Amino acid sequence: MRRFAINLVGSRLGAALLLGLLIGTMPSRALGAERAATIKELQQKLDQSLKAIQALTQRVRDLEARQSGAPVAASPATGESGASSAPEPTRLEAVEQQLEQLETANASRSNDETGMPLHGFADVGAGTHNPINPDLKGFFVGNLDFYLTPRLSDRGRALFEMNTEVGSDGAVGVDLERAQIGYQLADQATLWLGRFHSPYGYVNTALHHGAWINNSVRRPGFLQFEDNGGIVPAHTVGLWLTGAPRIGSGKLQYDAYVGNSQQIVDGVLDMRNAGNAHGNLIVGGRLGYLFNAGAAEGLTLGVHAFSAHIGDNAVPADMTRVLSYGGYAVYDTEQWENIAELYLFDNEDLSGATGTHHSHAGFVQLGYRASWGVPYARYEITSLDQADNYFAAQTTGYSYHRSALGLRFDLSADAAVKLELADTQLTDRSRDQYSEGLMQYAIRF
Amino acid sequence: MFFGSHKPLYWRSQRLCAGLLCAGLLVVGGALAGSGGAMRLEQLPQQWRDDRGAPLALTELLGKRVVVAMAYTHCRTICPATIAELKRMQRLLDARGEQASFVIVGFDPDADDPASWHQYRINHHLERSNWHFLTGSRQATRQFAHQLGFDFWTYDTHVMHESRLVVFDAQGQWRGAVHPASANWPALL
Repeated sequence: MRRFAINLVGSRLGAALLLGLLIGTMPSRALGAERAATIKELQQKLDQSLKAIQALTQRVRDLEARQSGAPVAASPATGESGASSAPEPTRLEAVEQQLEQLETANASRSNDETGMPLHGFADVGAGTHNPINPDLKGFFVGNLDFYLTPRLSDRGRALFEMNTEVGSDGAVGVDLERAQIGYQLADQATLWLGRFHSPYGYVNTALHHGAWINNSVRRPGFLQFEDNGGIVPAHTVGLWLTGAPRIGSGKLQYDAYVGNSQQIVDGVLDMRNAGNAHGNLIVGGRLGYLFNAGAAEGLTLGVHAFSAHIGDNAVPADMTRVLSYGGYAVYDTEQWENIAELYLFDNEDLSGATGTHHSHAGFVQLGYRASWGVPYARYEITSLDQADNYFAAQTTGYSYHRSALGLRFDLSADAAVKLELADTQLTDRSRDQYSEGLMQYAIRF
Repeated sequence: MFFGSHKPLYWRSQRLCAGLLCAGLLVVGGALAGSGGAMRLEQLPQQWRDDRGAPLALTELLGKRVVVAMAYTHCRTICPATIAELKRMQRLLDARGEQASFVIVGFDPDADDPASWHQYRINHHLERSNWHFLTGSRQATRQFAHQLGFDFWTYDTHVMHESRLVVFDAQGQWRGAVHPASANWPALL
């Protein structure tokens, strides 16, 4: 009975074990079959990968050999026999070694390409008068202008322009002409902070410090940069929002800016890089439309205005509320470069009792892009009220008109020679007249 | 045990393959950048938009020779001369009864979007379907220019560049690069 019971227990235990074994082995067998299939698939992929690596390695060898001029070695077998001819760990180690070599080579190559490229412009020349200071004549050094655009993220922007220039007194100075860091808020809205070229008219934001970029020898006199005799604030230190969304077939170019009000220091406009004492601001904007289709293709029409409280360093100091407004037209095509700008001033004397003064300035320049060069003609005129402290305090705030004929020859893609004959008449502060013959050799690099 | 011993091998080989592929392309691309050399069309950046805004990969153009140039829409001197030479190439190929794709990649994607190029080709009567005006990201544009030897830099709205044409054969193999104004380009066709 006991033996039967033991047998029964034993047989039941055996059955249970058998059942358990069956139950236990069924999924493991299925898993084993699945694993085998996976392993087979992985092995196939591994073989394919190894073949691809071998083919790629051979191709790299071929290309390197072709570059070095060495004979190209015969391709090793990449077939089944080739793949299985060497133990896999050995082949993988060899590939690892090659990969390391390639990575090292690439790293060193990348190092060669890092860093910020340095570009810029330079110009020299000669003339019967210095183009900035008519009291001087002979040969002159113009600008050595370095332009830096660090590469930032997709929406980050940065621009620095450092100019080594010879002033009207012949002294060499270095100026950080532009230092602006921006962020592209949207496709057609970029916000800049820093020192930038005040967006008015066309010339001030299209023809920067690099002389090579300009078809003419120089800017119109009243639109020169401040330290070269300009009477309109060419630089602003502040905030600038700009963009050019597409409207119809053309583009609407808009600019709005706010910055430190400039000050006239020793007869020259100063853009107050570090801020001004009274905290007054210059506020301005520009709106233009670029036609891009039909007969008007290349034509831009726009308006611009700014208002600022600009004082001087006289004792006692004068303060003027400068209100400037006007318009501009540009016809820029593959044949023509025609530019016209007009500036009207309604300046109010805030420190005296002389009231409001009205002045104006403008120019027209016609240029033709011929196959052999760019001949141009320009006429510029200013009529500046000398009772207006804003103009009276500026060394070059006198009225004048100038006629000029010029020619640009491009010697190569990066060098140009420009010639200009000009006649200038000063019409109020002093009555004078002089003619100039100027030559400029300008390059970019 | 068996599975355990192959899993690292599998992953190692996968990583190696991907790594080698990337490194190989970078090295080969970099090595050939300056001179062009054995550069192939498929080694260039491929993510572009045409002047209708549609995506276009350069590899889609394989099967016909491909003539590549770079330009920007407001260029008034060099680019018009380059386009004029491309037109001359087109006329020569037409006379021979041969085909080619002409690819013009924009230097300045910030200023020249697909709509700008669309207007440009209308204004310049460049409406043949084998002419492609492409816009890419700034990074893709820089890489493309670097690989093909188009040296350029931007000065505000101006692009400082020289003129260059690169020709690939129908299989995407580099044929050569020339200055368009030189009389050498017919040798590349």
